[in-house]
Formats: sequence, structure tokens, C-alpha cells
Amino acid sequence: MGLSVQSFITEHKRALTLIAVLLVVSPLFGIIGADIVGYHEPLDVAAEALGLNETGLWSGILPDYSVPGLPENWAGLSLGYIISGIVGVAIILALGLILREFVAKG
Amino acid sequence: MGDVHIPDGFLDPVTAALCYAIALAFTAVAIYKSKARLKPEVITLASLLAAAIFAAQMLNWPIPGGTSLHMVGGALAGILLGPWLGELVMVVVLLVQCLVFGDGGITALGANILNMGIIDVLMGYAFFKALARPGGTNRARMMLGAFLGGWLGITLAGVACGLEIGYSPAFPFGVAITVPVMGLWHLGLGVIEGIITALVVDYMARKLPSLVMSLELPAQEV
Repeated sequence: MGLSVQSFITEHKRALTLIAVLLVVSPLFGIIGADIVGYHEPLDVAAEALGLNETGLWSGILPDYSVPGLPENWAGLSLGYIISGIVGVAIILALGLILREFVAKG
Repeated sequence: MGDVHIPDGFLDPVTAALCYAIALAFTAVAIYKSKARLKPEVITLASLLAAAIFAAQMLNWPIPGGTSLHMVGGALAGILLGPWLGELVMVVVLLVQCLVFGDGGITALGANILNMGIIDVLMGYAFFKALARPGGTNRARMMLGAFLGGWLGITLAGVACGLEIGYSPAFPFGVAITVPVMGLWHLGLGVIEGIITALVVDYMARKLPSLVMSLELPAQEV
């Protein structure tokens, strides 16, 4: 597996670079821009206005792309947002690699 | 562009269950149809596309007044990979968003798959296939097909979202309000999704034409 991860990275540098760039700039919109304009998820706003219980049944391991324990300022939230992005991308690529190994072995 | 991730508590149980049934049935067929195509290099491409769509969705453009836009990418997945594999890519993205980040409710996962993974993917694929020619010789037709697929795919996903929440007794506005609001909103914002979809498809068709798979595959093999 170690070897295939390495070759995967070298073979797909362009795509992985694009993904990395998207993740690094994402807090500019998701956290910092959202803070400036007082953004909340549109359907969350609707839920609040209507008094719906939007606590949900499951809020996730990293709820709303935040890392529990990091400071609740823009720097901490931005860092948490990027870490969340890396975790999400890593899970998706790992699933792909596992399926690939599985298929390659027949 | 738009945000149609439905949280928990918005759908009534019947709507939620119906959406789950459609999503499960479509996904089962998609797995069956995609099995033969799952060569290692196709899996790699699909997982990279899923990761890129996930990352692109994190670019959440806030709009004053409490709303936002982000790329959805379902139409793009349908154009690049075809409807079945395209749907599976969106299912993986939506599952990770829901289970790991609580983005989109677990009870609404069926509806979110139906809107973003099925409707958006199918619309993108259908418009692209209707307009583009195999070999990608006519650039204008190909870009128009990708634009219309991206634009109208997200619009129809918005309409479907409006129908689903409009039918829910938990939501005090009926479909007479939710459908036009969601539909018109996404008809406007969807133009941006259409433009990005067209630009990405155009780039791929020129630089990596083998990756625009729906272009070359005959309909029965997609």
C-alpha cells in the first residue's frame, strides 16, 4: 500500500495540486467571507426562523467542517476548515485506493 | 451553484423514505452497471474527481443576507464519467459530507442523493450527449451542452429540493412557494455552475480527451 500511495501522488500531481489549492483557499470563502457578511447556511437560517429543531440526529465527527478544541476565532476556524478538507479528501482517496487494490487483485 | 444540502428535520418521514428508496434503487443499478468499467485507472480517475468535487464544494461563497453558493458538480461528474459512475462519485461525496461533517442530514441523505447525485448528474449527461459529437470535434456544441447541463441540472435539483421540503408538514410553506423560490433562485445562480462546468469540460476535452468518457462511450456501455 505504501508504494502505491507514493506512485499515486507522483502520477497525479496536477490533479492533487488543484485539490490542494482549492482546500488552502477555501477558508477565504467558507470562514472569513462568511464572518464578514454574517453568513449561515440558508436552510439553517430557515430552520431557525421557523423554530425547527435542526440539531439533527448526527452532527458528524468534525461538525460543520470544524475541529473541536481549536480556538473559535478566524485563525482557528480557518485551520479547522482546512484540516477538515484534508481529512475529507484523504478519506475519499483512501476509499479509491482500497477499491483499486481490491479490483486489481480480482 | 447553490446550496441544496437538506438538513435533518426538514422532510416528513414519507418523503424522506421515498427519496431513500429511489436513491438506493438507482445506486444499486449504478453499482451493477459500473462493475465492468471498474478498471484500476477508472477507479483512480473517479476518486480524484470525487475528491476535487468535495474540495470545490468547500469554496462556499457567502452572500450578504445569509445565503451562499458553492459548486455542486453533479453535471460535471455525469459528463466526465457517464450517469452511473457519475452518480456513484456523487454518492461518495455526499456520504462523506453527511457522515464525517454533518453537512446534509442523515434522514435527508436519500433526498440529497436524489437531487445532487441523480437529477443533476442525469441532466448534465443528457444535455451534453444531446449536443456534443463523439470525438469532440465541435467545441461550441460541446461547451453549450456542458453549460446547459450544469445550469439546468442545478435548477432542476433546486426544484426537486423545493418539492421535497414543500411537501413536508414540518415546513410551513407549501410547494406553491418552495418550488418557485428554489427553482428561480437556482435558475439564476445555476448560470455560474453552467459556466464552470463548460470551462472544465472544454479544458479536459482539449488536454485529456480520454477522460471525457461519456463522449466516447456508446449509450449502452455507459
